[in-house]
Amino acid sequence: MTDGGMSGGIGFAAALAAWDAAAPAPARACGLKVADLLRGFHPDHRPGGMVQLVAGPNEGAPCPAQLAALLQSDSLLEDVDLAGATILDADVLVLGGGGAGCVAALAAARAGARVLMATKLRMGDGNTVMAEGGIQAAIGAEDSLQRHFEDTLRAGHFAADKALVAALVGDGPDAIRWLVREGMSFDLADERQRMGGALLRKKPGGATAARLLSYRDFTGLELMRALREAVLLQPGISVLDGHPALELLTDDRGRCGGAALQDLGQRRLVLARAGATIMATGGAGRLHLAGFPTSNHYGATADGLVLAYRAGARLREMDSFQFHPTGIAWPPHLEGTLISEAARSAGARLVNGRGERFVEELAPRDVVASAMLRELAEGRGVGRDGKLGLFLDTPSLEREQPGILAQRLQTLSHLAHRAGFDPAREPFLVRPTLHYQNGGMAIDTDGRSALPGLLAAGEVTGGLHGRNRMMGNALLELVVFGRRAGASAAADARQERPRNLGLNHLAGWRRGLLAAGLGLEAKGPLLFPPYGNVTPQDLRRHAA
Amino acid sequence: MKVLTDPALCVGADLAAWMARGGGEGLSRALAEPASIIPVLEAAGLRGLGGAGFPTHRKWSAVAAQPGPERWIICNGNEDEPGTFKDRFLLAETPHQVIEGALIAAVATGAAQVVLYVNPREAAGVLACHAAVAAWQAHPLAAAVSAAIGQALCLRVVESSGHYIGGEETGAVSSVMGGFPFPRLKPPFPFEQGVNDRPTLINNVETLAHVAHILRHGAAWYRALGLGDAAGTKLYSLSGDVLRPGLHELPMGTPLRELVFVHGGGMLAGKAFKAVFTGGPSNTLLTGADLDVALDFESVRARGSRLGTGAMIVVGEGTSILRKTAEYVAFFAANSCGQCPPCKIGTHQVSRILERLDTGAGRIGDLEALENLSHMLPGSGRCGLVDGAATVLASSLETFRAEYEAALPRG
Repeated sequence: MTDGGMSGGIGFAAALAAWDAAAPAPARACGLKVADLLRGFHPDHRPGGMVQLVAGPNEGAPCPAQLAALLQSDSLLEDVDLAGATILDADVLVLGGGGAGCVAALAAARAGARVLMATKLRMGDGNTVMAEGGIQAAIGAEDSLQRHFEDTLRAGHFAADKALVAALVGDGPDAIRWLVREGMSFDLADERQRMGGALLRKKPGGATAARLLSYRDFTGLELMRALREAVLLQPGISVLDGHPALELLTDDRGRCGGAALQDLGQRRLVLARAGATIMATGGAGRLHLAGFPTSNHYGATADGLVLAYRAGARLREMDSFQFHPTGIAWPPHLEGTLISEAARSAGARLVNGRGERFVEELAPRDVVASAMLRELAEGRGVGRDGKLGLFLDTPSLEREQPGILAQRLQTLSHLAHRAGFDPAREPFLVRPTLHYQNGGMAIDTDGRSALPGLLAAGEVTGGLHGRNRMMGNALLELVVFGRRAGASAAADARQERPRNLGLNHLAGWRRGLLAAGLGLEAKGPLLFPPYGNVTPQDLRRHAA
Repeated sequence: MKVLTDPALCVGADLAAWMARGGGEGLSRALAEPASIIPVLEAAGLRGLGGAGFPTHRKWSAVAAQPGPERWIICNGNEDEPGTFKDRFLLAETPHQVIEGALIAAVATGAAQVVLYVNPREAAGVLACHAAVAAWQAHPLAAAVSAAIGQALCLRVVESSGHYIGGEETGAVSSVMGGFPFPRLKPPFPFEQGVNDRPTLINNVETLAHVAHILRHGAAWYRALGLGDAAGTKLYSLSGDVLRPGLHELPMGTPLRELVFVHGGGMLAGKAFKAVFTGGPSNTLLTGADLDVALDFESVRARGSRLGTGAMIVVGEGTSILRKTAEYVAFFAANSCGQCPPCKIGTHQVSRILERLDTGAGRIGDLEALENLSHMLPGSGRCGLVDGAATVLASSLETFRAEYEAALPRG
């Protein structure tokens, strides 16, 4: 699994001619059972796609090669780098400024803790704001916590931790009340009823009840807006933007007591000492696992996983990722950008380089993505300027439902405009894009990891989604577990103060790497993907 | 007094004509006394005229102080924002002013790699630059520059991808290196790590065009061109509801009223003055209360706005602020590179709401949504694009709220 299943493909001009001649595209039978399709072509299942971890708490577990290389990397720091570093003290340190980090910081501060929130980029500049669909919570009269629980477990192929899922769905209704109190707006069933109105509920894919709450189609942005304002107004929270964590600090008992941060502006190291540390650094999409493009933000480089793993926290389901079927394949500067499911829901078909339909477009995401990868792997993809994809047939859709692109699919039309073509005349070139990290740090229902002093919330954690995440559960997760982790951290910080802090875990970690025959050449975390121009070597140099 | 747009200097790519009109004098003085170049610019008070107003001598000193032999100069002519049309004029009509300024910068900073970075959509400018650069290659002054910096001067034209963000400094660096103009995080700043990770000086075309004149006539002469504390002249791109839109070179610090009612010939069709979208158009609107403002960096900032590129898009009674704002935000949405999610999502959603409001399809809660977005978005991107979109939105919404309310559905 090194190239995302790429091979030759059919030239763009020839494919366009085949599509034009055949439109509307005839369907070709799949000829494979769903289980075989997934086993054969889903990136999670493809043979050779995973390597086994050979060092650390998850030794023996499967994991994508790029991620394994980072998880089993050496630190960017040495003990000597800490000498003379600026020291900041807090009760609770929150790493990450997306949704989960903000909720955790608010919860901890309101429980009486002095909170330091450190972000790699800036508060709110993360994946949370890209959530378009909404947030799930069982608040309908015909719905129940039990149904939300069962829907979530089923969607995750029954691999999720039941206690975590129970906590998630159980806190759901109160999480919505909390968001409303924070000032977040939701769509109302009747827009004219401004006071006391019921929230509008939609049915998310795979759910047995209407449970998806939304705000227009930028729920994540509105959520982040409310959280950001709340954080800025909350006494007791200091925000440090542009301060990525390079390493966790541990004391002589192995307990986590903060982190070493790189102040990007001043180019100096800052030691943030805290009684409890909350990891809220998000996922790993920007590692482009198996060569896939990603819908993820530039900052999603698995930094939190790397730091936590190295310090002794256990991970789970690190071999499970969600792929969204329709990411842009061409032009290159928009590669990976999502075209939402709304296009396929409205009737847009997927067509291969021979002008054939090859899958039922509204099947579950993993099935559609696998069928697409099969087309690409078997040479029926469409090649354009070295990029390989499949057609999303927007011209036929527009022909069948005139005006639909302008009226219902404005976001898609906006993307086409940015890509420089007319979607009513030319189909999009799409391919599956890395969307979400299903696994992550193992936590308990209070958000605590196995490493004392270290808690976690949001996409960096695993166990809630099993092997496949349901739409609308990611936003709920960050609220529910952000609150839980924040409250737990405030309580923990009252009881434990760090002592003899340093990079105490690194000696053992390095011995482990060497014992496993890995060497110390590879450094991590990645922090900034290659095109960001700031390399880990730069940081190391500036830190020195 | 016209300096940059003096018709006598609009000789196109004809280098002999440029030299016959005093061209080369500034460069010769720079070559005679390289150490004095930066102090002269400092004394003249030259500032970045691409919009930031950053003191030019500080950028030059920063690049000059960097270690290593490889340094770059990018003459930023990517100009793409609505309402700004000054750089394309300079590049097409009088490119030698710009090149001579860039060569003086090369002498001052020791940079042998000089790039005229131009927007391919402005074909006349691209052609003129190619011809002008070709003319310099064999000129003795170019050889003298090579001798002064101890390396062979490499002067060339690089066409940008034509994207607006290609004008952002780090986007320009990426573009010159052959990539898509994705802005990146700063630091490191281009002066320390730009093209090929080497020190890189990036100046707007208008800024560089002044340099040869300053070296030739002196700092005191340049300072005296401006009004009040402001120095030099400024190219104001005047457009919108005025009688005589166009490029006006006037003393820096010319009052807005004079620009609109004297040089611009007053409001089109005698309509009352309503507002001005300034330089970008990504700033707080100037209104009738600001007609007395001197159009220089400090005075405009004191009114809570920015001079920016010097673009002044004038709006009169009868023109819809909502429509204009919708157009500009649509521009920003189309030009967001998509790296920072709040910018990618936010500019697009603001654009959609404005478009809906303007076409009579507004919804209850739209104004709250716009207000909330205008609070959320500033500062959420690595470059200034999202800030500009949020500022123009917030400002128009605050100052002309009645126009927004009138567009809401009744009842």
